[in-house]
Amino acid sequence: MATLIEADGGVYTGTAVSSVQRRPIGRIIARRLVQVPIVLFIVSVLVFWLVQVVPGDPGRSVLGPYATDAQVALWKEQHGIVGASVEGYLTWLGAFLRGDWGISLLYNEPVRPLITAWLINSMTLGVYAFVLVVVFGIALGLFQAFHQGRRSDRGLTIGLVSLSAIPEFAVGTVLLVVFSVFLGWFPVYSGILPDTTLSDRLRAMTLPAFTLMAASVGYVARMVRAGTIETLESPFYRTAVLKGLRERQIVSNHVIRNSLVPSVAVLGGQLAYLIGGTAVVETLFSYPGIGLASVVAVQRKDIFVLEAVIMVTALASIVLLLVTDLIYMALDPRIDISSRNQQ
Amino acid sequence: MSVIDIKLAPLVLSKASRTVTKPQGVGGKLLRRPTFVLSVLILGFWVAAPVVLAFLGLDGLNRTGGVNQPPGGGHPFGTDNLGRDVFIRTLAGAGPILTIAPAATAIATVVGAAMGLAAGYFRGIVDDLLMRSFDILHALPGIIAILLVTAAFGRSPVTIMIAIGIFFAPIIARTVRSAVFVETGKQYVESARSQGESTWRILFVELLPNVAPTLIVEATIRLGFAVFASAGLSFLGLGAQPPSPDWGLVVSQNRIFIQTAWWSVTFPALAIMTLVVAVNLIADNLREVLQS
Repeated sequence: MATLIEADGGVYTGTAVSSVQRRPIGRIIARRLVQVPIVLFIVSVLVFWLVQVVPGDPGRSVLGPYATDAQVALWKEQHGIVGASVEGYLTWLGAFLRGDWGISLLYNEPVRPLITAWLINSMTLGVYAFVLVVVFGIALGLFQAFHQGRRSDRGLTIGLVSLSAIPEFAVGTVLLVVFSVFLGWFPVYSGILPDTTLSDRLRAMTLPAFTLMAASVGYVARMVRAGTIETLESPFYRTAVLKGLRERQIVSNHVIRNSLVPSVAVLGGQLAYLIGGTAVVETLFSYPGIGLASVVAVQRKDIFVLEAVIMVTALASIVLLLVTDLIYMALDPRIDISSRNQQ
Repeated sequence: MSVIDIKLAPLVLSKASRTVTKPQGVGGKLLRRPTFVLSVLILGFWVAAPVVLAFLGLDGLNRTGGVNQPPGGGHPFGTDNLGRDVFIRTLAGAGPILTIAPAATAIATVVGAAMGLAAGYFRGIVDDLLMRSFDILHALPGIIAILLVTAAFGRSPVTIMIAIGIFFAPIIARTVRSAVFVETGKQYVESARSQGESTWRILFVELLPNVAPTLIVEATIRLGFAVFASAGLSFLGLGAQPPSPDWGLVVSQNRIFIQTAWWSVTFPALAIMTLVVAVNLIADNLREVLQS
C-alpha cells in the first residue's frame, strides 16, 4: 500500500532517453531549492481542499445532523475554520505557519505536541530499520556480487525482489506468529509508554523494524551488487589483485568504498519511505508513530491531526530526498541529478 | 464482484502481446521458463478459486458453529472468531483484490499510455506539464496521498481503485514517453507524417503498437504494485469493508485474536504472499523476454 506505493523503486524499463545536456551544479541545486516551496504550496492547497472542503462542512460532520446552525457556526469559530474560500485557506495557512495547528478532536489536546511525540517515535523506528537495511543490504549485495551468476546469486535476487513485493502486513503477521506467539521472544503489541525502559523499547521495535527492513532491503542489495560488480571489473581492482594484496584488504579498502556510491541514492529514498510510509507496519504492531496516527485520523475524521500529519510528512520526505541528492552529488560530482530525474 | 472484471486484465495483456512480436517466439520462450509457468499456475489458481466457490455456493460467510477452532477435522485452516471456515474465506479472499488491482492497473495503463504518447510526441509544454505533475504527485509518500483521497471521497474499493490508478498513471506515462522519444526518430513516423496522416492515427495506430512491449512490461510491473497497494489499503480499513473476505481486511480484523487463533491471520497472509510473488515473477519474466 502505499507505503505501499512508495516501495516502488521506480523500476525503469524504458529504452534509452534522448541525450541529456549537462547543467552547472549550482543551477541544479537552486532549481531543486525553488521546487521545495512550490511543492509544499501545492500540497497545502490539496490538504486544505481535500480535508476541509470536499467532505462537506467540517463543523456539521463533527457535530452531526442534530446540531443547530448556531452551534455549528460557534464550533467553527472556536476552531478557526473560516470556510471554503481563498480567505479560508489563507486563514488556515496563516495559523498553521504560526504553529497553531488546532486541537485534536479525538484526544482533545493541542495537535503540535502530539505530532512531535509521534514523529520522534516514527523516526526512532525508521532509524532502527534503516540500520538493519544498511547492514543486511550491504552484506547481501556484496555476497551476491562475489557469487555473481551462480545459483546462490540468482536465488537471492528472486527471493529479495519477491520479499519487497509482499505487503508489509503479511510479512509482519508471519513474523508475529513465529516470534511472538510461538517463540514468545517479542511482545505481541509494540505500544510504548513514557516509562518504558530502553531495552523494552528495543524489543518492542525489533519486529516492526525487521518487517520494514524486509520490504526495502532488496533495493539496496541490488544497488550494492551492481556497484560492486562494476568495481570488480575495473582496472584498479585488477591492479590491487596483481599487487598481491590480500582479498580481505582489497574488499575493505577498495571495493566497498567505490561500490557504495550508487547505493546512497537508494538509501536516502528508503529512509524517506521508512519515516513517511510506515502506516501499515505501525498499525499492525500498534506502534504509536505518525503513520498509525494518520490512519486513525482518517478513520475518526480527526481533521486537524490529519492536516498536520500530512504537512509534516510531506516536508520531511521532500527535505530528505533533497538532502540525499545533495550528498549524492557531493560524493560523486560527475553525477547529474537532472538526468536521474529524467529517467 | 463480477467474474468478467477478474478475467479481463490477463486476457487483454496476452492478446496485446500476440500482436506485437512474433507469437511463437515469445510464447515459446516464456513457456520454457519454469518460474513463469509456476507463477501463471498460481495466478490462475487464485483467479479460479473465488469463481469456483461462487458456483458451488460457498461464499465464505457460512457459520459452522465452532468458534476459533484450530486447523484439523472438517476445517483444514480452522475457523475464525465468528465460526467461519478460514479455508473457504481464504480462497474467496482472492476475489476482491483480483478485482481492484487489475482495474486500477487498467485505469493507470489507459490514462498513462495516453499521457505518455502525447508528452513524447508533442514534447514542449505538454511534456513539461506531465513531468512537473509527476514530481508533485510523487513528492508525497504514496500512502499519504491516498489517505488524503480517502479522507475526501470516503473509504471504498472504488475510491482505492481510482486513487491507485491515478497515482500509477504518471509512472506509466513516463516510461511510455521515453519509448516514444526513441520511436519518433524512426523513419516510419516520418513517412506517416509526410503522407499527411492525422495526429491521432500516428499516435494510436503507428506509435502505440511499437511501444506496446514496453507498455505491457510496465503494466505487469504496476499490477504487482497495485496488488501490494490495494492489499495494504484494505488492511488499513480504507478499501473493502466487513464481511468481505478480502485478505488485508481479514488480517486486520483478526489481529486481536493472534494469540488465541493464529490460523485466522496466518493463512490469508500466506495467501497474499503467493499471489504477489507470482504476479511479480510473471512481470519479471515478461520483461526479460520482451526486452531482450
